[in-house]
Amino acid sequence: MATQSKSSPSETKIAGFGWLSVTLLFGGVLLAYYIVPVGSLFLSVPPTEVLGRMNSPIIVDAAKTSVLSASISTLIATVFGLPLAYWLARADGAAQTAVLGIVVLPLVLPPVVGGIVLLTVFGSSSPLGEAAIAAGFPLTRSLAGVILAQTFVASPFLVVTAKVAFERVAQTLEYASRSLGKSRWHTARRVTIPLAVPGIVAGVTLTFARAIGEFGATMMLAYYPRTMPVQIWVSFIELGLENAYPVAILLVGIAGVTLLVINIIASNPWE
Amino acid sequence: MTLNLSDLSKTYGQFKFGPFDLRVEDGVLAVLGPSGSGKTTLLSLIAGITEPDSGSICLNGRELVGHPLENRDVGMVFQEGALFPHMTARENIAYAATTAARVDGLAATLEIEDILNRSPPVLSGGEYQRVALARTLATDPAVLLLDEPLSSLDTPIRRRLRDELHSLFESLDIPILYVTHDQRTATALGDRIAIVRDGMLEQVGDSSTVVEQPATEFVARFTGNENLFEGSVIEHSEQGVTVRVGDVELQTATSNIGQSDITVCIHPSRVEIKPSRAPDDEQIINTITGTVTRWLNEGSEYQIEMATSWGSPALTASVHPPVFERLTIDTGTELQIMIPPSSIHLMPNRG
Repeated sequence: MATQSKSSPSETKIAGFGWLSVTLLFGGVLLAYYIVPVGSLFLSVPPTEVLGRMNSPIIVDAAKTSVLSASISTLIATVFGLPLAYWLARADGAAQTAVLGIVVLPLVLPPVVGGIVLLTVFGSSSPLGEAAIAAGFPLTRSLAGVILAQTFVASPFLVVTAKVAFERVAQTLEYASRSLGKSRWHTARRVTIPLAVPGIVAGVTLTFARAIGEFGATMMLAYYPRTMPVQIWVSFIELGLENAYPVAILLVGIAGVTLLVINIIASNPWE
Repeated sequence: MTLNLSDLSKTYGQFKFGPFDLRVEDGVLAVLGPSGSGKTTLLSLIAGITEPDSGSICLNGRELVGHPLENRDVGMVFQEGALFPHMTARENIAYAATTAARVDGLAATLEIEDILNRSPPVLSGGEYQRVALARTLATDPAVLLLDEPLSSLDTPIRRRLRDELHSLFESLDIPILYVTHDQRTATALGDRIAIVRDGMLEQVGDSSTVVEQPATEFVARFTGNENLFEGSVIEHSEQGVTVRVGDVELQTATSNIGQSDITVCIHPSRVEIKPSRAPDDEQIINTITGTVTRWLNEGSEYQIEMATSWGSPALTASVHPPVFERLTIDTGTELQIMIPPSSIHLMPNRG
């Protein structure tokens, strides 16, 4: 019967409610899995105690090292990554696919393996590492080592995110600018980059957040000077879980700021 | 100014453009063709967005091939306008103009003074294309290329802007290539029309010549002429050639046709219709009887299909609404059809 094949309004409502219930139930479980541990971390230690421990010279040094190294590695990733991201956005064919594959390699490699890979090139027994030590600029167990590790692991975030940002700038706009007598550089400065800025900011923010949280490759390449993630590990191993909380809370705070930047500053006003 | 394209060719995968030869003098050349025929490729090659595989593009004797977009002095209005969304309308025009006075002058010409402080996303389709045109004209280009700038506009706005463009183009003494797939726009704006098909130039000439004397059946059909009939030459005389279509003999004003098997082409607008049994009909040559099989109201005119004594296909006449209403035309109406000899165009039979 025709009437049997159609849903009545009440059936539709029930079906709609049922569908929403399923999504809420399954999604809610996952959301809780994200939120509960983070909330638990903040509730584990009184805020006054956290603030008190943050004055510890060890933690302050770790924070300084992390912020400095992450800033430098983000800068390096931006300077070298933006041109590559632009090329990837405008090129196509097998070469583009191959280059993109190379760019995302550090993303899919376990960070510890990334550290081993880097040690084969920059380690103290490698030709480059030996030459750097001879020149008084060691590439392991140094700030340079931290930066190398962070750049390797975090820079793909910049390239991939900026690539998407450049792709969203219609190439016709660049042709229009150049047909108006403007050079490629002028076009990049006045048209392409301003329109891609929100995406680039998102990429820079993600890169900084990934760099400041980098642990695996950094452990392999530069245990000293200690970054915040390394300090968390050391505090956990040597002094127990509670001593790892303050730095962990600091890193969660940085992650929160990252989310804020991506959602507010990096939103595209022209879309 | 003269733009000269010689032996221009470009291959994209399976699509081959050219070899293409075209000379464009000052005035509007409407480039007409179906989607995928190579119209936009032609503009891209001239603008420098794409480099040709071979051939030459000369602007007043200066070779453009090998020069980047920014050094070609070729202005282009893109199909989607391509205004910079992060700049206001004024900033878009000022991006190309050398002085603020130039911006104001163009804004006055294109009647966009009131919208100069608006952002492109809030402009209407017509306003958007006016700003895009003003921005392109701000550089005083030596050649102007327009890639279907009206195609996305609603009909009333498109008509109005088309009229305004016609006036504007008359004031510009530069070669203008206006790409469109719309025959009405091409004939309204183009001093000349170039028909492009499968990357090749099918015909180029004055608008009326291309429309009324198409070189090929493709040109005829693409310019809205469905009146194509197989025929044969039966007599040459001082007045012109007499041809036979079915059982009907038609006197033409054409004298230079060498073949006997020909295609007879009659533009619908040149077909005259009258009520049947008019007293002096027999005195008029090329008068036949037709019965209306179908009619279509296309707004500004009616298309009337009539079965004639020469069999299929039907003959189409286009008439203005007053004529249609005066003749009280409907399916089955019998009419007298008169085809002036000068309105009959003969093409060599493709067979």
